[in-house]
Amino acid sequence: MTAQTPSGDFRTSYRADTTIFPTAMSRNAAIAGIVLLALTPFVADRYILSLMIQIGILGIAALGLNILVGFTGQISIGHSAFFGFGAFASAYAVEHGVPVPLAIVFAGVVTTAVGMVFGLPAARLKRLYLAIATLAAQFILEDFFARAQWFTGGVAGRVTEPFSLFGWVADRDESYFYVVLAFVIIMYLMAANLMRTRDGRALVAVRDHYLSAEVMGINLTRYRTLSFGISSFYAGIAGALYAHYLLFVSVEAFTIVFSIQFLAMAIIGGLGSVMGSLMGTAFMVLLPEFVQWSVELLRGGVIDRALKLADSLSYLREMVIGAVIVLFLIFEPDGLAHRWKQIKAYWKLYPFSH
Amino acid sequence: MNWTLLLQLVLNGLIVGALYGVVAMSFVLIYKASQVVNFAQGEFLLIGAWACWWLLTTWQLPFIWGFLLTLVFMTLFGIALERIVLRPLIGEPIVSVIMVTIGLSIVFQALMKWMFGVFAQPFPPIFTTQRINILGLEVQTVYLLSIAISAVILGVFAWFFRATRYGLAMRATAFDQQAAQSLGVPVRQVFAMSWAISAVVSAVAGVVVGVVNGVSSALSFYGIKVFPAVILGGLDSILGAVLGGLIVGVLENTAEFVDSQFLHWGNMYQVAPFYVLILILMIRPYGLFGTKDIERV
Amino acid sequence: MRLVPAVLGAAIAALPAAAQQRIPVGHIADFSGATSDVGVPYGRGVADAMNWINEARKGVLGRQLAFTTYDYGYQAPRAIAHYQALQRERVVAIQGWGTADTEALVTFVTRDRIPYISASYSAALTDPTGKGGPRSEKAAPFNFFYGPSYSDALRAMLQWAADDWKARGQSGQPKYVHMGANHPYPNSPKAAGEERARELGFEVLPAITFALTPGDYTAQCLTLKESGANYAYLGNTAGSNISVLRACQTVGVNVQFLGNVWGMDENAMKAAGTAANGVVFPVRTETIWGESAPGMETMRQISRVSDQTGNAYRPVHYLAGVCAVMLMAEAMETAGANNGAIDGVRIRDGFYARQNWVPKGTEGVCAPSNFTETDHRGQLRVGIYRAEVKGATEAGSVDELMRNGTMAIRRLTVVDLPRRPEWIGW
Repeated sequence: MTAQTPSGDFRTSYRADTTIFPTAMSRNAAIAGIVLLALTPFVADRYILSLMIQIGILGIAALGLNILVGFTGQISIGHSAFFGFGAFASAYAVEHGVPVPLAIVFAGVVTTAVGMVFGLPAARLKRLYLAIATLAAQFILEDFFARAQWFTGGVAGRVTEPFSLFGWVADRDESYFYVVLAFVIIMYLMAANLMRTRDGRALVAVRDHYLSAEVMGINLTRYRTLSFGISSFYAGIAGALYAHYLLFVSVEAFTIVFSIQFLAMAIIGGLGSVMGSLMGTAFMVLLPEFVQWSVELLRGGVIDRALKLADSLSYLREMVIGAVIVLFLIFEPDGLAHRWKQIKAYWKLYPFSH
Repeated sequence: MNWTLLLQLVLNGLIVGALYGVVAMSFVLIYKASQVVNFAQGEFLLIGAWACWWLLTTWQLPFIWGFLLTLVFMTLFGIALERIVLRPLIGEPIVSVIMVTIGLSIVFQALMKWMFGVFAQPFPPIFTTQRINILGLEVQTVYLLSIAISAVILGVFAWFFRATRYGLAMRATAFDQQAAQSLGVPVRQVFAMSWAISAVVSAVAGVVVGVVNGVSSALSFYGIKVFPAVILGGLDSILGAVLGGLIVGVLENTAEFVDSQFLHWGNMYQVAPFYVLILILMIRPYGLFGTKDIERV
Repeated sequence: MRLVPAVLGAAIAALPAAAQQRIPVGHIADFSGATSDVGVPYGRGVADAMNWINEARKGVLGRQLAFTTYDYGYQAPRAIAHYQALQRERVVAIQGWGTADTEALVTFVTRDRIPYISASYSAALTDPTGKGGPRSEKAAPFNFFYGPSYSDALRAMLQWAADDWKARGQSGQPKYVHMGANHPYPNSPKAAGEERARELGFEVLPAITFALTPGDYTAQCLTLKESGANYAYLGNTAGSNISVLRACQTVGVNVQFLGNVWGMDENAMKAAGTAANGVVFPVRTETIWGESAPGMETMRQISRVSDQTGNAYRPVHYLAGVCAVMLMAEAMETAGANNGAIDGVRIRDGFYARQNWVPKGTEGVCAPSNFTETDHRGQLRVGIYRAEVKGATEAGSVDELMRNGTMAIRRLTVVDLPRRPEWIGW
């Protein structure tokens, strides 16, 4: 990162060292990006918007997972259960008369509590033993969803209300896009900010060397549980946003396959990188779409007819998705965020790359 | 209290648990050598099962030959996989390697559907007697095969790791990769070997599951299903994996007993093992048989 | 902003000059996901039928159906993204697939007024008003499906079971047990089945759970054996049902299994072998492949779309997929009659236009449906069949096994359920 700060930039205070945006340029670029995004509903159609909404929602959840995985160095395979819990909690609150914006916050808080319950035994666990706590969370919560009819609506699922604020109702992709955009900005700023705080530094210290961290007086149990809580908070908020997007929550959606996809988003984006989470999510959401487009181009074409692919295209598509993930990680094991930094550095230093 | 039923369920738990143990063992082999959790383990089972099914039905081979050929194929498959996909990743973050195995599982899942279709297929009968009566419980003969094989594998491993050069090399690599490498242990060969052995062991389990349930892509779910057994036994203990499998098998079956006889809560068969697991891990964070590292700074 | 596309779409569709225009239709299928074992035959039936309509019938009212089959791999988020892509093409109807996509899209298709013909037969989709009965959960005015709902199929099978109990001259109270995963699909007809069983004089035992994936279910079979149940409903999809049937055969359980519509078919019979012998299950068509009926010739022609040799065996799901398309096509014809616009609302109304509706050309194959504005329970007449497996099924294809009589699907009876208002929606 040092390569990107202007020369002669000697930071003279801790404050300057921990800004979110290292230069005025990067801050302006971020603001310009947000303004551009805010204009998309006027130019893009619903399909594009729907993809962007999905990236936004899943991106918030992936960021939460990245805080857990990237900042505690553990793998978690139960994230979709927390995501689902948030969705049901929000729908449940709305059912009992809570306005949607408050219900989303409520969902975040309740999910945090649930996450911490599962985080407690995890506090003593290290490395992959932690994975079992998250796997157990996945199965126990899935079982709970199917059982707790009062909470989830059971078999029929739960229908819920669209997002509304002071009479403005976001029941279309065009309007809901702004809701998701606002949440993405808030949640990502919060995460970027977290890393500047005492707690954030403590989390990083725990990840890098927990023994040293402990020696320096960082309470391991507290921070391990905390990272579980924060991660669940993000999952809960994202789940609630998902619920108010689909306006319907069903028990069926939150499986372990979904959890593994969240893990893929976090890892492909780059562990421990805030913006990487969003990039990884975009990668995982858009990859099947891109492959599908290529398949459509292929369909009926020369190659298709020559090899008689027709029916095999679905399987080929899945194989390509898997193969792209594998190849990507072979060539870029540190994730998209790392590649992005390299590209930036390349242009910054061009043509003197050394 | 229905003692006969309880006895039968515990017995069944032990028998199925042995199978879980075999799958768990194949996890541990890879983890022990390279610290990688292989999310494609379930697909290894599936590939083994389909390969054997194909040899037995399309080529009409007798079971023993088909089975041995499958094991040979899986050895090559494991080595090839390590060479092509995993070797470039040596030295990269473990979590990226784990993600690669997730990608591989997507590829294999689709590939198997493409090659063998989406419908479940039955295995030809292997034994003339399909089932054997043990203490009043009718058991599929093939489950006994899995017990026998797991016992053999355990014995071979015990000998292999204690008495052979390669076994020692694998243990050394597992203990400290860098130190082993600097002492001249061929770490790459060790990795290739652990993937090959793991692929073979999971193929054995895959064939057994295939014979009992028929082969279908959903069979790969066994990979995730035995995860509790792996953790419970301690990630780096092969004997622990087998014992973990037995414990999970018995847990499931006794949970079903308590549920059906007394509680009537439903679904305890599936969830109860997870509650017990969390409890066990709160008391023993390294699993029942895992080694507790003593860390010094 | 939001009105413009809709108004524009309606305006374009209403132009008489556009009569030759294609009719955009969506097709969401699962060929590669968790439910592909039944998704492939059904989805192929849907695609073949639409292609056949385009070729043999020159489309609907001279307009070709424009569709591409989208395989969403049983992942709901992909189905949602694809739904928005379909919006861009202004589809007027969608042939959908399972619970995951259908339920995720209920609010969307209601809002956008697009008839969604699903292969999810959940009773929760049968109430267009949302307040038709005391147990209705939600309104689904644009959801349709071909066949009896899961709940109604189970009610009908229980009716058969009660008669069977008497016919076999058994005395005492028969015992019924629901088996399945703790999951929306198997749970969907659970309450309806247990309540109906009590009404019919069954003793209802506590449900037995087993996961949706293959595994060892000996424990469940021992429990089942010990409970002394006489009739057991298998609520899961085929993969895990096969495991249960085989485990129960091994431990020697003597119980009459009642399968469900996606839980038993020719391929499951082959995979389960003799363990599947005797399972009773609902079939949505009046005849199965290879039997003779006036409409079977149409089915053979449709089958040739993807199989030029004409030799392929088509499982029950294929025929059901064809019937679902034929219903949709005829509803479109009704909508477009007298130069009417073929749009979502008019297609929906097209579903209400006929009584005992059998699409033309499919007589004797597709079962009659009745849809009304207040009741989307299309079929309350349920064909009950029994799976027969006489010998080893490992060698030979499904076609050969059905032909040489190793496997057979025999019709037992047809149960006519009363159209009770209190049964709508659950």
